[in-house]
Amino acid sequence: MNSVSDLGSIVSRSLHDTLALSLPLFRPELCLAVTVVLLLLCRMLPVLKMLDSAWVALGGAAFALFYAWSDLRGLPGWLGGDALASRQEIFTGLLVFDSLTAYIRLLLMAFLVLYIPFTKVSGIPDREDGADFYTLVLGATLGMCLMASANHLLMVFMAVEMASVPSYALAGLLKGRRASSEAAIKYAVYGAGASGIMLYGMSLLAGLLGSCHLPTMARQLAGLAGAIPAGNLGGVEMVLVLGGLMLAVGLAFKLSAVPFHFWCPDVFEGAAAEVGGFLSVASKTAAVALLLRIAFGLGMPVAVLPGADSSSALAGQAAALQGALLGDARHFMVATIGLMAALTCTLGNLAAYGQNNMKRLLAYSTIAHAGYLLMGVAAAVALSGSHPASARTAVSAVAFYLATYLFMNLGAFAIVAFLRNALRSEEIASYAGLIRTSPGIVVATGVVLVSLIGLPPLAGFWSKFLIFSALVEAISLSAERPLMLVLLVVGGLNTVFSLYYYLRVLKVMTFDPLPADRPGEALSLVSFPGAIVTALAVPVVMLGIFWSGLYACAQLAGAFAS
Amino acid sequence: MGNESMISLSGMVMAPVLAAGLPLAAINWHSVLFLLFASLASIFAVGVVLADNVVRMALYLVFSLAATAGLFFLAGAEFIGAMQLMIYVGGTLVLLVFGVMLTAQAPFVSIKPSAADRALAGLAGSSLLVVLLAAALSVDSWQRPGLSEVTAPTATPLGMALLGMRVDGPAAGAATGAVANGYLLPFEIVSIHLLVVLVGAAYLARAKRRRTPRPIDAAASAVSVVEGSTRVELPAALPPRSGSASALVSGGSK
Repeated sequence: MNSVSDLGSIVSRSLHDTLALSLPLFRPELCLAVTVVLLLLCRMLPVLKMLDSAWVALGGAAFALFYAWSDLRGLPGWLGGDALASRQEIFTGLLVFDSLTAYIRLLLMAFLVLYIPFTKVSGIPDREDGADFYTLVLGATLGMCLMASANHLLMVFMAVEMASVPSYALAGLLKGRRASSEAAIKYAVYGAGASGIMLYGMSLLAGLLGSCHLPTMARQLAGLAGAIPAGNLGGVEMVLVLGGLMLAVGLAFKLSAVPFHFWCPDVFEGAAAEVGGFLSVASKTAAVALLLRIAFGLGMPVAVLPGADSSSALAGQAAALQGALLGDARHFMVATIGLMAALTCTLGNLAAYGQNNMKRLLAYSTIAHAGYLLMGVAAAVALSGSHPASARTAVSAVAFYLATYLFMNLGAFAIVAFLRNALRSEEIASYAGLIRTSPGIVVATGVVLVSLIGLPPLAGFWSKFLIFSALVEAISLSAERPLMLVLLVVGGLNTVFSLYYYLRVLKVMTFDPLPADRPGEALSLVSFPGAIVTALAVPVVMLGIFWSGLYACAQLAGAFAS
Repeated sequence: MGNESMISLSGMVMAPVLAAGLPLAAINWHSVLFLLFASLASIFAVGVVLADNVVRMALYLVFSLAATAGLFFLAGAEFIGAMQLMIYVGGTLVLLVFGVMLTAQAPFVSIKPSAADRALAGLAGSSLLVVLLAAALSVDSWQRPGLSEVTAPTATPLGMALLGMRVDGPAAGAATGAVANGYLLPFEIVSIHLLVVLVGAAYLARAKRRRTPRPIDAAASAVSVVEGSTRVELPAALPPRSGSASALVSGGSK
């Protein structure tokens, strides 16, 4: 900054980077931010006050969905082309735009477009609360988009906070209800603790590696690993392991993975079912994307570095060499993620047995599904060192799982919400004999729950099948074979365990006698709630039959791991 | 407890120095100040944990955070030190005045955890401390106190970085392939975040007159609107949770 011309070039470079490169790839997030502001402005003008905030939010989400869709279509490799990794760092390296970013963003926006009509029909929030509720939902989703694209520890932390803090308020949405306030305060206290620990871990890692930029950190890590034979590591491993574990605490909290899952059942039980659906689907999707980002960001150095000569084969060779040096880091991550996956899956499924409240049951089911997703991530990281093509397939499996999970789980929470409105209860026992009065809803519940188990004709089967085949691939290629074998056995056993408690709900709905004094009316499929449930259950069936289109998109997302 | 310890500690550091008759110039004031601020921060942090009264806890927290700001100033990070003073010390003071003093009711002023809780928390905290200390002391490069000349940082490079422009050595970064990250995005996106969180806080804090019952409240209580005022008829068998829900409905209509 010695001369004016120097400053001028810095300013023009910064303007170019922000306006020409970064903002065009940031349009879905910009749509959300504008909608948040619009929701506030609408309350200031008396004319606009008549407008229901749900429509404003839906309009903004639809625009964001359109841009997210066009971003995914604009990727090289769309429609059968060679799915090359197209990686572009935006905002001076703070975020990264690649196929995973585009795919997860599309999922989140599609979730919003389904979620807002669902909340509008279910009546929570009502019109008075609507503007606040949708502001919080859109603000949290904005943070989740950043989680999916974070490339810098500062953005990782900010994105996690942006996704979490509005969620704390959402958990307390039912003001004045003791359970809801309790859920909100529990969630906030656990969340504050987890993010404090995560921040400490980040500062340890950043202090040791001298950077917060994930690809730079990976290169520094490879440099440290290369220094091991010389014997001058000086107790660095312990700090690295500690920092990595503390970072994992924050991620495990967002994923509701064991042993940081305690908040999940209480929050889901206390908060409204609508909020549970949001936390269970959107928050989980973003957390898995962030885990993939960090695991691959630290475990696999990128070949193309900004500033370096990207076309030279030398850069690729250097990245391959660094990739080999990072084997220990990957081994550590696979062991941590794999152990967490096995524990999460088993505990989630076993604890679901004793539940009488449907929302609590779905909370444990959410925990169990986080376990299956973690298995896929563990397989992907294990394969990434030696077999990049198989690692891409494993990431595709996780991406496919996330898409089907959106429909299955949002469908399940929608059914709980509508049955609560009709039956005034969320206990499983109160669903007795529902098939006599509302057969359509029971069929939809059956579709959703059987898909959550993972039985063949439905979408859930393919997602579980793809995850398990990724594990089998890792075993056959002997990448972390013992752990992958354990995960495969645990995953298979858990699928069998989960049969019982999902089918128990269906058994209560169909075989148990109708209570004589059932309050409320029948819930027909030919109604607004019925239409929402149908819109969520039909994709579960259709994706079970025509899954190749979605899988092609998921493969595109998997291309980021190369 | 804190003040006496502070005085005795500074006396402990200073007394032998002065007694030996050393000239003041021979004292490494940087180390003395570091010891002073570090021990202040630690002592008041322990005070927060040991105090039973909420107001005292908040006050100790203010002192501990202010001492930490002193450490930042000593390390040459004036900007972070100023931010620490403004945000944490200022914020905690506001919290102390409004949050604690205005709202503290008798049962919440004094917090006395049980002995088992204390033991458990002490065990967890001290084991974490041991692990972190061992980790921090195991890195060689962190052990040598670098008494290098601190280049005086100014607010200008920081401000430029917040605008997305790095002026503090992008050329050096380009040589090693490192990226000079500008911080325009977090600077801007946090404003949206604060807006959203503000809306959430206002929603939770607002006492709202509710005319129409939510479907979930209607589950618990039959509400009839008579001439604009809401009367609540409680059903005979009332589960405990729905009691508070109907209390909200009746309370909101006052």
